[in-house]
Amino acid sequence: MDKFLIPRGLQRTSFGAFLLWLIPWTALLSLGLYAIYLCLAEGLFHTNMDNRFAFGIWIFLDLTVIALGAGAFFTGFLLYILRRKELKAVINSAVVIGLICYSGAVLVLMVDVGQPLRAWFTFWHPNTHSMLTEVTFCLTCYLIVLLIEYIPIVLKNRQLRQIPKFLVFEFELHKLMPVLAGIGTFLSFFHQGSLGGLFGVLRGRPFAFREELGIWPSTFFLFVISAAAAGPSFIMLTTWLVEKITRKNLVKPEVYKFLGKVSGIMLIAYVLLKSIDTLIWINSTSPGNGFPAFEFYATQSFGSWILFTEIVTFGLLPALVLLSSRLREQRRFLFGAGFLVCCGIMLNRFVMTIQTLALPTLPFDDFLTYSPSWEEVATFLFVVAYGMILYSVTFRYATLFPQEKELNQLNGELSMQEFARTGKTTSFWQPKFVTQLRNKFASSKL
Amino acid sequence: MLPWVYEFHWTPFHVIFLLIFFSIFVTIVATVIVAMRRTKMAEVLQKTEAIQWHSDFEDLPPSMKTCRHELSGDVKHRVCDHEFDCRSCTQHPVLSKRQTKAPMLQFEVYGFTMPPYRLYHRGHTWVQREDDGTFKVGIDDFGTRIIGKPYSIELPPVGSRLSVNGKGMLVKKPNTNIRILSPIDGEVIEHGDSEKGWYLKIKANDPEKATTHLLKGNEVPNWILREMERLQISFATSGIGVTLADGGELVPDFHRHFPKADWDSVLGQMFLEA
Repeated sequence: MDKFLIPRGLQRTSFGAFLLWLIPWTALLSLGLYAIYLCLAEGLFHTNMDNRFAFGIWIFLDLTVIALGAGAFFTGFLLYILRRKELKAVINSAVVIGLICYSGAVLVLMVDVGQPLRAWFTFWHPNTHSMLTEVTFCLTCYLIVLLIEYIPIVLKNRQLRQIPKFLVFEFELHKLMPVLAGIGTFLSFFHQGSLGGLFGVLRGRPFAFREELGIWPSTFFLFVISAAAAGPSFIMLTTWLVEKITRKNLVKPEVYKFLGKVSGIMLIAYVLLKSIDTLIWINSTSPGNGFPAFEFYATQSFGSWILFTEIVTFGLLPALVLLSSRLREQRRFLFGAGFLVCCGIMLNRFVMTIQTLALPTLPFDDFLTYSPSWEEVATFLFVVAYGMILYSVTFRYATLFPQEKELNQLNGELSMQEFARTGKTTSFWQPKFVTQLRNKFASSKL
Repeated sequence: MLPWVYEFHWTPFHVIFLLIFFSIFVTIVATVIVAMRRTKMAEVLQKTEAIQWHSDFEDLPPSMKTCRHELSGDVKHRVCDHEFDCRSCTQHPVLSKRQTKAPMLQFEVYGFTMPPYRLYHRGHTWVQREDDGTFKVGIDDFGTRIIGKPYSIELPPVGSRLSVNGKGMLVKKPNTNIRILSPIDGEVIEHGDSEKGWYLKIKANDPEKATTHLLKGNEVPNWILREMERLQISFATSGIGVTLADGGELVPDFHRHFPKADWDSVLGQMFLEA
């Protein structure tokens, strides 16, 4: 039914099966939409946040998806600025994932502020001394950049490219991609950093407060490096997941290994800096503020195990795996390590938002507990559903993985090469048609 | 935000922050405007067809960009990076010198009629030099068989100019329009019809170099063999599985035997249209 929209040479499931796949996501999307309506129309009392617990699941997951979406800027930086051509195989997918992550995060933020129609205020009257102002400006600009980067992917659709103006615009825009990649890198550096920085400047929260390096607290740099480490791993995992769901080979193994290596290098740098930062905090910053660091881990929920898990289990361990070329060869280690990296970034953002707010800072404070309301969960599920739908539709109607066509043909070619070498075809794919023609004309002198 | 807006302060931090923001915003907008202007310029300078081919060629997997010197056996492996236009390739003259005398091509190649006095383009067209110095262009036997009986062919009007790898003809079938690439540069001085046959007669811009990039001699059989592999694979990737296992050669009304095939996809792949 929609064959005319599917890129030539790519196999996709039937239209009916595709609609069936979209049904649960659409249901989830509707539920999320209802939750968003409740929060916007009736008020934020639908959430379990209050004046003391102002950052809940929304901010925690926002920070997580923004870090995971960093694959878009980091892949763009490596491809267009450092000219690592092998990443051409995943750049489109990285852009779509980045777009989903950032647009989803901005959408949730709009619900979180409760009065989205007044969002313009932060642009028109910016508080230039606030880390959040920097985040707002950079997020908005980067979302525009991602939307522009998404345009060429859409315009290359089989039908849209028939319109010469669209194809030429796509070509010309693509030539300017290094400019957009440069801007994206600049913006991402600052908003990823400022998202970390805003916790580091919280003097009233000694658990998060860090010493400054220049004008930024150390968390600024830790957030940038951790996002750069998690982004490539997330691209690797999502691509693998799409391969599993669609039962297709989408990228060559070398691409996975390269992404794993990049992630490993960034992660080991992060683990090293995080360890130094933690030691300084334990021995100097925290006691200097009147709080021995061990007190923060005295509560049952957030024991010191959480610090160990974050730095060793989700940091050092996957970093060592990803840095070993022998282990990267094995898919279970490669993807297992990538999964741990993504878990690590999630745990780090959880610690920075939820644990920071839960811990008491004044003598009369209690340990705060918080569990999200169903509206908060459903709002975030809206983002997940929206992401799945956008990614699925783009995967179906655009070329997300340029190597897919080639890899689809590989089986046939391999069997032909085998035939040329041995005169026999033993692969499952039997090119009988060509074989018989070869045999028929083998005796004729060409 | 702006000097006249409430809460704006002439402090270095305020000014630097907003200057950086405005610079980034202006750069983003300027990038889009430059792309739009260049699009307009490309249309004015008639670069659209070249860009279309560039885009189509970029989307071809490396296995489909085999250099002609690999086809002829001059080199073991080489991928074309000149969009099948050897005229601008610096390696082509060097590799051509390695060539021994090209053996005379048989009239029949794997069951296809491929006269040796014709030269062949990768987009399944042939070029034949006429006595009057003009060139006759048509769709080769392989292309004709996979197209089947077309409903109509749109040929460029007499007097129009064609460029190598630009749009030469348009084959119109139900639910499918396939552009056929022009194999040479030049001006259309005559064309055929359904009765005389679908062909173009072209007065080349530079008759001496007009056919340098076209396949000839022992390049043709290897190319045809690869094209048959590609045809088989294109069927496999068009959702009907490997159904060409009946052996023999391609029958003239080959198209008719596979009504359920996604012919738009198959023809697009075979005629190098993404």
